[in-house]
Amino acid sequence: MQRKELRGGAALTVLPADQFKTSRITINFILPSRRETATAFALLPIVLERGYAGCPDMTRLSRRLASLYGAGLSADTSVQGGNRVVSISICGLRDRYALHGEALSAAYADILFGTAFDPYLVDGAFEPQAVEIEKQKLRELLEGEINNKRAYCVQQARRRFFGDSPAGIERNGYLDDLDGVTPQALAEAYAEMVRTARVEVLVLGADAGEVETRLLQKLDAQRRAPALLLPAVAMPAAEARSYTEPVDAVQGKLCLLFTAGRPLTGRELTHMRLAAALFGGLPSSRLFRNVRERQSLCYYCSCAFSYLTSSLSVDSGVQPENAARAQQAILHELQALAAGPIGEQELQETKLSYLGALRAVGDSLSSIEMWAFREILRGTFEDPQQVEHAVQLATADDLCSVLSLFTLSVSYLLTKEGAADGQ
Amino acid sequence: MGNKVLRSETLRSGRVDFSYEKLTLENGLTVFVAPMEGYRAVQACLAVGFGSVDRRFLRQGQETALPAGVAHFLEHKMFESEDGDAFDLYARIGASANAYTSFEKTCYVFGATDQVDESLDVLLGSVSHPWFTEATVAKEQGIIGQEIRMYEDSPDWRILFAVFDCLYHNCPIKEDIAGTVESIADITPETLYACTDAFYTPDNMVLAVAGSVTRAQVLAALDRAELPQGGETGQKLRRPEPEEIVHAGAELEMAVSQPVLGIGFKERPRGADERLRWEVLADLLGELLIGDTTPLYRRLYDEGLVNSGFSSDVFSGEGYFCILFSGETREPETVRAALLQEIARLRAQGIADEDFQLCRNVLYGEAVSGFESPEGVAADLAACGLRDEPLFAELEILAALTAEDVRAALEELLREERSAAVVLRPLAGRGQTARTAEE
Repeated sequence: MQRKELRGGAALTVLPADQFKTSRITINFILPSRRETATAFALLPIVLERGYAGCPDMTRLSRRLASLYGAGLSADTSVQGGNRVVSISICGLRDRYALHGEALSAAYADILFGTAFDPYLVDGAFEPQAVEIEKQKLRELLEGEINNKRAYCVQQARRRFFGDSPAGIERNGYLDDLDGVTPQALAEAYAEMVRTARVEVLVLGADAGEVETRLLQKLDAQRRAPALLLPAVAMPAAEARSYTEPVDAVQGKLCLLFTAGRPLTGRELTHMRLAAALFGGLPSSRLFRNVRERQSLCYYCSCAFSYLTSSLSVDSGVQPENAARAQQAILHELQALAAGPIGEQELQETKLSYLGALRAVGDSLSSIEMWAFREILRGTFEDPQQVEHAVQLATADDLCSVLSLFTLSVSYLLTKEGAADGQ
Repeated sequence: MGNKVLRSETLRSGRVDFSYEKLTLENGLTVFVAPMEGYRAVQACLAVGFGSVDRRFLRQGQETALPAGVAHFLEHKMFESEDGDAFDLYARIGASANAYTSFEKTCYVFGATDQVDESLDVLLGSVSHPWFTEATVAKEQGIIGQEIRMYEDSPDWRILFAVFDCLYHNCPIKEDIAGTVESIADITPETLYACTDAFYTPDNMVLAVAGSVTRAQVLAALDRAELPQGGETGQKLRRPEPEEIVHAGAELEMAVSQPVLGIGFKERPRGADERLRWEVLADLLGELLIGDTTPLYRRLYDEGLVNSGFSSDVFSGEGYFCILFSGETREPETVRAALLQEIARLRAQGIADEDFQLCRNVLYGEAVSGFESPEGVAADLAACGLRDEPLFAELEILAALTAEDVRAALEELLREERSAAVVLRPLAGRGQTARTAEE
């Protein structure tokens, strides 16, 4: 990972990617996440993706990308701890794979920088018709979150877990706020982003010098007052709360959310990566082996750890009549791991699996980029190879200690009405 | 011991700077090795030519009928042996493993950066020693029953099989890959042994390995393996499928926020020698009709009738060939009519060369990028191997296609009289306003 701090609150990270057939450039704008602007920032990427000053028409832009062998332009947003991130990426074939020798990479940079820094504005606001169309799409997305029951259950649990915390601000914004996002308000959100966001550019397999020159030209044309990245947060431990939501579904969904109560230290994070893998991150994990395979209490049962919020989620698909037993079994597995002992063989197997995944990070553009950006958000800038050593040193007691920090905060069950145990 | 290499050839494409070796073993197994410089991991895929559409076969003069879902059931059970679970063995050596079943094949895969030889041994061992008991079959019936229920909650999955059910009279593509809770209840250890005897034979399997691997490594693993030695492979039997569709439409209800539309076109199945070319043509037509470069997509998008998830797919194999358009829309009838009109317009007015070039470029770009992932290469090699198609065939077809080829294909494909539309509607008053109870 070659990293260069540039003027004006921006940095360029160049990642090795010579073996790939495609190249990729991403510009990330990172700024504090706020409830008031959440819906505008949810809408902004999809409006930006439609076109820019140099190519304002959505279909013309699609045809331009198609002519570049289906180059992919994507604008997206996420909430990472207390930060809102707007990411604009372009990915496409390297020049040498074009059928007729076209110069592809220069065109990629034109489109990417145009999308990020030269939006199509009419009288200082985004085009009203485009904004209205995309507002309707966003409305449908928000209204349609029930369609994916698994994701919906996790989202409902997160809402109860984070409450009003900035880390719980909705990635896709709020239905109630959507009408208030006018073309002008959207332009103001864009201006705020370009003025105040920390800018992190990642380059994989493209000409980094050319990207740097263009980036500095664009940033120098802006009045910049970049914000600092907000550090990791953690929800305080609280008495566990349980929720049940009836829904017309064949299979029930159960999500449990745990908090460590405080942000984990760097060393604890390494231990937690292993501990989460052992608990529910691998096919050989305790949740998979014991809750799914041995007790047949669910079809899927896995965990995910968020390093920016020090929260642990367990997500499972259960038969409604088994939901209470599945929850007890999941809690039992966590308690058993935290209490120890963890066998040496089990620890070594988990380390091997985790190290295998670490070593394979360099085998795909998306995993390289995901790793690097996570390190940037954490401020650690470690390569996977550097983390390997810390993984090797972790002991069974380290894993027990870090898991013992976690307590259950929220249990959310999506199930057929009247079908859950004891109801 | 049957693992001797009978034939070996190196295949190379300058278009993508890529080469791989194809080996044919004495026992009939086809092996592909694709060393990829600059990668740390090895990805392997062992594909068996046995999928959900294989429901009847003839072997040693005896005809056997199978319950729906048996190939998928077998996929779950092949990880188990008397000595334990293959997942456990992979875990001990740090490899990650998976398996999946499609209409035509079952694939067992692993990825590893270390102890690759040991991982290859686990992979080859897991298909060499089938072991099924009443108890393990019964346990799996419970787990797969839950998997079936999970898919019943997926709108896309429901639409897919509802469309197939409208189009096909007899072809088993219309039945869920995992079967039903009732059909898998009929599976016994004997059923599973009959399937492994018939289909888990070397000449019905392909091993593909890509990434940081050498030919010598793969051959050494095959030498150590005790693969079945070329018993008689079952002859797949198909019931004749009429050209006509079953019915032109259906409606379903489930807890979704807005309707989902699926329109399927039942096409004449193609023989192995021309199947890939027709699949590419069908893909291109999908792009030309409703891809994001088209006027139809733009109009429907701006009118709020489709979103970026509206897409086309092609399903093709022995005995079936279907083009499916699907996605959310608040006005399914309007979108269906618009799609049919656009098909008629293209047929009448022809396909502009520029439009053809753009859509061809999109598919070409996708095909080239498939060569940068060892996982994708291993899966594609295995799939191509079972169909006896070269890995580079799609690239060459795309490079050679002309707009005239697509125009000619449209004369035959996408006929309204061979189409069916399924609409999945939201349950009245349910799904969006569920109450939440705090306990």
